[in-house]
Amino acid sequence: MAVFSVLAAVIIILLFAMPVGGICTYIERKVSADMQERIGPNRVGPLGLLQFFADGIKMFLKEDTAPKNADLPIYNLAPILVMAGSLGAFALIPFAKYVIGADLDIGVFYIMALGSLISLGILLGAWSSDNKWSLLGGMRVAAQIISYEIPLGIAVLSIVLVSGTLSMSGIVEHQAWPNGTAAGGHFWNVFHNPFLFINFFIYFISALAECNRTPFDLPEAESELVSGFNTEFSGMRFGLYALAEFADVIMFSCVATAIFLGGWHLPFVNIGELNIGLRLGGHDLTPLIQTLIMIGVFLAKVSVLVFVVMWIRWTLPRLRVDQLMALCWKYLIPIGFVNLVGCAVWFWVFKGASMLQVTSRLLGVH
Amino acid sequence: MALVDLFVLSCIVLGALSAAVVAFHPNILYAAIALVFSLLSVAGLYGALGADFLAAVQLIIYVGGIIVVILFAIMMSENIYRGRFVEGFRRFIVPFIISMVVLVGLVRLMRRAGWPKTAEIMNLPSTGPIGQALVGPYALVFQYVAIVLLSGLIGAVVIARPHYTETKGDGT
Repeated sequence: MAVFSVLAAVIIILLFAMPVGGICTYIERKVSADMQERIGPNRVGPLGLLQFFADGIKMFLKEDTAPKNADLPIYNLAPILVMAGSLGAFALIPFAKYVIGADLDIGVFYIMALGSLISLGILLGAWSSDNKWSLLGGMRVAAQIISYEIPLGIAVLSIVLVSGTLSMSGIVEHQAWPNGTAAGGHFWNVFHNPFLFINFFIYFISALAECNRTPFDLPEAESELVSGFNTEFSGMRFGLYALAEFADVIMFSCVATAIFLGGWHLPFVNIGELNIGLRLGGHDLTPLIQTLIMIGVFLAKVSVLVFVVMWIRWTLPRLRVDQLMALCWKYLIPIGFVNLVGCAVWFWVFKGASMLQVTSRLLGVH
Repeated sequence: MALVDLFVLSCIVLGALSAAVVAFHPNILYAAIALVFSLLSVAGLYGALGADFLAAVQLIIYVGGIIVVILFAIMMSENIYRGRFVEGFRRFIVPFIISMVVLVGLVRLMRRAGWPKTAEIMNLPSTGPIGQALVGPYALVFQYVAIVLLSGLIGAVVIARPHYTETKGDGT
């Protein structure tokens, strides 16, 4: 069993996170080109689809330089820490029922804990490259990630309060469509109650800040800090930073999908109870097809979120440092706390029922 | 040797080695980074003991919070590559005595604790019992810690806020 879970983890990382991170760089360039009425990459392969391969090969072949005064052991360690932090969380993402690397009891908490490695790696890399722009970027990253972990944690906490579990698959199971037989279905957590609906946006904004994406990309603000914390990194070390950023975006979108947008659950149908009468050589193919549909639904939701992240990047200008901190401490955290208490009150008044269940009870539909 | 034994053993070796680096490395920055690995291996030991919640707490509080703050302090100070604060073995006397006292206390505590002997207890989810304990028998301690943290936060704000005492006289 242990061998299989190790194998699954390696497959998830190598066949999902890395290539999808690469494809995301291509999509990002295409999306930005569309928004600026350009064509974008179109030379390498059909529609420029192989552009990210070319980028990857270029990254690998580039000379790996280091500044003269760099603290080499730390300089070499930093990108690895960042990558480990972003990829480690993929083990906990429930792509479909039973398709999850490690279904820990503390799932969502563990994902947040791994995020701390990212800030550590970025800070160390920034400091060790002996460049003042890098150091400024690194300080901004540390301040930003530590601050925005609080609203993120509060938003996740309200989900845990409503679901009654920390396990990722448990949270997803909780969000099934309530059809006759499954009385426990609460539908997507984002529609569970009005407070959670607001908390979804708090989560999304904080996740943007955690991945250093525009409008929160102060750590790598090109116009102020050259390129921020990764200024002195070249070749594949820079590539690791870039890939880790996209892996982070995908990871936060996956978590948002799983805990807020119902994971693999769809409205009106319950995929786990679909009956597909396909058989092959005496074997019932229903579980396999159900799993494939679930993975498809999950990835569709994730890609919508990733697209929104890119859309925001090419639409909004960057915040100032004081605005960044004011947004976090004066708006997101108080609103988050009020919502957390609101969730608890909702839970107490309606005995844990979601908006959908309350309405259906009022209308007499079951 | 089972996989979990190997994991525990590597956690102990890594933890001990990096703890030695923390204690004896002349460069304070390297000591701080070695502390990360020491704390990570302690988290690994917690995980191997079935205390998964405690392992994640170790990671999120120590690696994500305290180490970052320590690194901030180190990076903001000058001449961290320049030697030691106290030369010679004199600097080991007081820490040695304190750590011996702590070690004796921990060993006594460990011998007295009733460790679970079966794997079934270890595989139970630990978050539920922790939560029950925090609002049940330990509610008072929990509230006390909350008050300490709150006063710490308020103190930090008071210290960090800008001082306008000099402009007090001109009526603004």
